Amino acid sequence: MGNFVVRMNLSSIGYCMSHAAFAGAAFGLLISVDPMLTAVLFSIITAMVLGPLAEKARLESNVVIGFMFSFMIAIAFIFLYAKPGEAATGKALSILWGSLFSVDFNDVIFLGFLSFILIIFIVVFYKELLSVMFNRKMAESAGINTRIFYFAVLFFTGFAVALSLKIVGGLLVFALIINPTSTAYQFFFDFKKIMIFSPIVGIVSCLSGFYISFIFDFPIGASIVIISSVIFAISIMISPKRRKGKK
Amino acid sequence: MKNENIIELNDISTTYEGERIPVIKNINLQIKKGEFVSVIGPNGAGKTTLLETINGLLDYKEGMGLVFGRKIKKNKTFIRRNTGYVIQNFEIDSLAPFLCKDIVMSGRSGKIGLFRFAKKTDWEKVWQSMSLVGMIDFAKRPIGKLSGGEFQKIILARALAQDPDLLLLDEPLSNLDLTSRKQIETLLNRIHEKKKITIIMVSHDLTYVPANCSRVLVLDKGKIIMDDKKEKILHSDTIEKIFKKNDLRGT
Repeated sequence: MGNFVVRMNLSSIGYCMSHAAFAGAAFGLLISVDPMLTAVLFSIITAMVLGPLAEKARLESNVVIGFMFSFMIAIAFIFLYAKPGEAATGKALSILWGSLFSVDFNDVIFLGFLSFILIIFIVVFYKELLSVMFNRKMAESAGINTRIFYFAVLFFTGFAVALSLKIVGGLLVFALIINPTSTAYQFFFDFKKIMIFSPIVGIVSCLSGFYISFIFDFPIGASIVIISSVIFAISIMISPKRRKGKK
Repeated sequence: MKNENIIELNDISTTYEGERIPVIKNINLQIKKGEFVSVIGPNGAGKTTLLETINGLLDYKEGMGLVFGRKIKKNKTFIRRNTGYVIQNFEIDSLAPFLCKDIVMSGRSGKIGLFRFAKKTDWEKVWQSMSLVGMIDFAKRPIGKLSGGEFQKIILARALAQDPDLLLLDEPLSNLDLTSRKQIETLLNRIHEKKKITIIMVSHDLTYVPANCSRVLVLDKGKIIMDDKKEKILHSDTIEKIFKKNDLRGT
């Protein structure tokens, strides 16, 4: 989904989702329900309301994302205030960090299922998505209902973030969505190639990060994000697209 | 189609959401099939609003509008799929990950329809449009690396790939150098001759009314203040009359 998020300038959606998850976890602790479940629920609901809210208020998506981000963190603090205790706060915060070792078989099944749905969505609606990414108004003028696809990208991104919370945590998951895509952007002009190359960068980042965390005893999520950031920084330096006079 | 009118606007007024004053007021306009019409007027005259109303991108608040003999409000998708639209001042970043051929194909996306993939015939339309604008050799070039004139040709090819009956062009010559302007102007004449498409071209610059354009509408403060043959409008007395009031470029 990072490919669409980067192109549609929705990068800040990540902060919004992670803090929605944080608020959800705090809410779960308050009502004594599994915090991960409520975290995912809050993220999905946020993803569903972002698009319509931005359109209704006639504001840029990023403005609404900023509003939702601060709103979510505020209600998270209220939930934590209502359920005092260091243990509750610690559990809620763990949603922001995540842990690969807490992932169970069900999580893998869920992620696999989501990946399958996303691939189908992208393959079936590729021409519409490409048109919307190029220019929403021009896509609309060619007879595409751009609103549906715009909302779908927001929703699926939120869903992907929600289901990845357990692995790398809310704060780091978005780096993993943005960095591989941004890296692939430095090398290709063909969107299809970017869509193939960015998951490869993502996998390499994950495996290298995992290895480094194992060697140096660093947190896994942080190691993965640092590796993907370093790869991105190198890609900017060696990007053939940025060479002057290149046609 | 009755009277071969491809567009019929009766007393149309369009107001932006949340605003009270209409941008275009009581517009009455009939455009026949195959006509090449230029719409001129100063910035803020309502030229873009007129095009967006015709294409159903903006809903009119009053009056009744027909395009292809169908009510605009109830047939937006049909109208849009058969209308090529080139929007105003559209730019793209140089690193944009799109190839020219994909952008031209994106013009056909709506026409191909949901849950359907582009067929060989769709790609043939893409190649034909690119050939017509003289950009077939640019098919695999990145869109962000084109010059202003080349970019505008690809955007035109995108609109033509829709195989439209109506072409709406919003300032297609703005931000172009003199050579590119001449090239696009010649191209528009060629498209009109070859494809017999109805063309409505918006411009705030009187000096760029293409040769094939037979009719000129002058829009000012949301109203059509003149609607006549090109020779009559682009007459020195008329020009003086229009542009005494408005500070227009190219006069």
